[in-house]
Amino acid sequence: MSADAEQERVVITGLGVVSSIGTGVDDFCAGLRAGRSGAKPITAFDTTGFAHAIGCEVSGFSPQEWLEHLEPEGLGRATQFAVAGARMALVDAGLGLQELRRRRALVSIGTSDGETRDLDTLTEQQLAHGALDPVLAGRLDASRLASGVVRELELRDVETMTTATACAAGNYAIGSAFDALRVGDVDVALCGGADAVCRKTFTGFYRFGTIAPEMCQPFDRDRKGLLASEGSGVLVLETLRSARARGARIYAEVLGYGLNCDAGHAVAPDQDSLARCMRLAQANAGVKPEDVDLISAHGTGTPTNDVVETSAIRQVFDVPPPTVSVKSMIGHAMGAASALAAVACALAIREGFIPPTINHTNTDPDCGLDCVPNQAREAVLNVVQNNALAFAGNNVVLLLGRHQEVS
Amino acid sequence: MTTIEASGSPHLAHRDGAARDGGTLVLSGWSAVSAYGVGRDVLREGLLSGRAARVEEAGDGAPVPCVVVPGFRAADHLGRKGTRTMSRSTAFAATAIDVLLRELGPEVAGDPQRIGLVLGVGQGNVQTVMDFTRGALTASKPYHVDALRFPDTFLNRAAGQSAIWHGLQGPNTTIAAGRLSALLAIGYAARLSRGGHCRRLLVGATEECSPARALLADAVSAGRDLPAPLGEGCVVALLEPAAEAAAAGRVPVATVAATHFRAAADPAVEGGAELAVCVRAALAKAGAGADRIRLVVPLGEYAQQEEAGIRAVLGDADPRWLHCRPLLGDAFAASAGLQLSAALSAAAHWSKPGDLALLTGIDRDGTVGCALFGRPD
Repeated sequence: MSADAEQERVVITGLGVVSSIGTGVDDFCAGLRAGRSGAKPITAFDTTGFAHAIGCEVSGFSPQEWLEHLEPEGLGRATQFAVAGARMALVDAGLGLQELRRRRALVSIGTSDGETRDLDTLTEQQLAHGALDPVLAGRLDASRLASGVVRELELRDVETMTTATACAAGNYAIGSAFDALRVGDVDVALCGGADAVCRKTFTGFYRFGTIAPEMCQPFDRDRKGLLASEGSGVLVLETLRSARARGARIYAEVLGYGLNCDAGHAVAPDQDSLARCMRLAQANAGVKPEDVDLISAHGTGTPTNDVVETSAIRQVFDVPPPTVSVKSMIGHAMGAASALAAVACALAIREGFIPPTINHTNTDPDCGLDCVPNQAREAVLNVVQNNALAFAGNNVVLLLGRHQEVS
Repeated sequence: MTTIEASGSPHLAHRDGAARDGGTLVLSGWSAVSAYGVGRDVLREGLLSGRAARVEEAGDGAPVPCVVVPGFRAADHLGRKGTRTMSRSTAFAATAIDVLLRELGPEVAGDPQRIGLVLGVGQGNVQTVMDFTRGALTASKPYHVDALRFPDTFLNRAAGQSAIWHGLQGPNTTIAAGRLSALLAIGYAARLSRGGHCRRLLVGATEECSPARALLADAVSAGRDLPAPLGEGCVVALLEPAAEAAAAGRVPVATVAATHFRAAADPAVEGGAELAVCVRAALAKAGAGADRIRLVVPLGEYAQQEEAGIRAVLGDADPRWLHCRPLLGDAFAASAGLQLSAALSAAAHWSKPGDLALLTGIDRDGTVGCALFGRPD
């Protein structure tokens, strides 16, 4: 279903980032260009007993810096990341709080685990036969990621929801904002994703044998898995009309997205279904495969994901464009992952470069795509595709385009 | 400005996306798993007779009182294969969908790529998560955990597993929005429909009682009695364009007239005023006056604020009120779903053309909102 002339066009005008390779859009962008790695030993929990425990944590994050209204202890770490990302995105968009409060808004934040890090701590307290901390128990609900942003920004005319579709949640949230803006239900949206490293999820992926011992090497012959990470990516989306009216800088246009479900295996991806999702997204966005200049892959760096994903790409594209994984740099930030990748895509379009896939030595012939190894590449990008997959076969593919004002 | 709807306001219908995509959105079937049991009939009988479901008092099983789905075993409804380790909230969803799809017949999911699921959840499977982490903390190695339970620890498990169980290959989205989850899920699903992503969407919300949830609720209450026993259940409806339902021979039970949401900085103080703004906005979207509201089904959290906000809009209108919480407890993420089931059970109270049913809620995190449902043509 191609874009309808009567529907609003939707653009990205602000970006907020908390990540292991940089906080704030400038630092993050510099990290992407330099091919920075966020990998380091995990400190979120006691890793004794694991043969390896490298992740991409956010170091030195101080929530007080971003909270003007709420007390930090009332928010779990993931919500703190979401709030920080939202504040940064608004500043980046040049959208003041008073102005924001005058507009009808949507706040849609994706997450995989919500505040499971707190739930891990509560489980430890229970094991120690101690009382459960009421402060931690009171900030657990996943809905608080989005409502934490709303409460901190003191918004009233706002629709608030946390999209909780696991490792693809960020793209779901951006999609929800796109649909709401396109039909004129809201004037502006803060959307993206946030997650915090936790023992539960690290342990699960470790047990599955999907945690890499040292580094994340998507599409490499010797790749050994993913690195658990955390952070947030929050985007300000608004209608093109609104952006023009206030003279806002436009990073990129959201062209459309598609979503579907494998409805097959609980954890393994499905090539045909993922290919179908890409086609749905391209149809929704009104673009053809040959229009796509860059794919930001889900690219976890696990043996299975990368083969299935690249095979699905070849199924859709006669000549696949460069296909990169920012997870090689920032790890797998779960529900924040595709939001951070969408931020990277918007930056790539605006700044004219392709972020590299780092830690790359030998391309796996079974993947075989140009993954822009190790060095960023200058490029004019008109259309970029951002893939996201999650457990339960939840796929969502987002398409962003370069915005050019026609005089 | 435009919205989900448009029953009774054809001039709006031409302006909004729904019109191009087949017009008014309707609910053309629903089912429930509740503390009255599995299915609509037991729920309708219980709710309309005002019979409170049985409360299991605090004791050995849980530190707080709970209102649970009586004697529920997933295997009784879904078969033994694959249900042994299914969490309750997942099993409720898979069961409610099973009942609904059987009733609607094979045509509805005949093309699996064209039917999706939008499901509201709360904290997810907190019992499974705590069990998983406890296993990691107590095993001889910190990774000696049951790998097969890992997918259960994610918030999207109920929606994802239900899709796998029933082969639903359309969009599959999990919404966590507290007690108003079902209303936000309906609003989101309506936009998916209008955005051209999928025309048939199962939409609802699920919640479970578990020792872990009770323990956490008890910790939050800090020694005070809970305002209501913890509840659970799942309600699912089929949302589709009216034309789609008609073409398939399905008889709608309601139109989705409008949803509207806001936020209150302090819900105990401003919740009512914000709710009043929501109800007025929803009425405007529906092109209706307050006098068309014939049934009100409130959430019951901040009940005085909620009632004051609604009455401020109703003026002289005097609809029926139906309260779920005294009967079914605090079903958290399933709350608004149960409110929807109550409104649909009480269809006799809003049976005439133009009649509307109003569902409302003010939640603890400040989310305030409402939904209006109308009579199908």
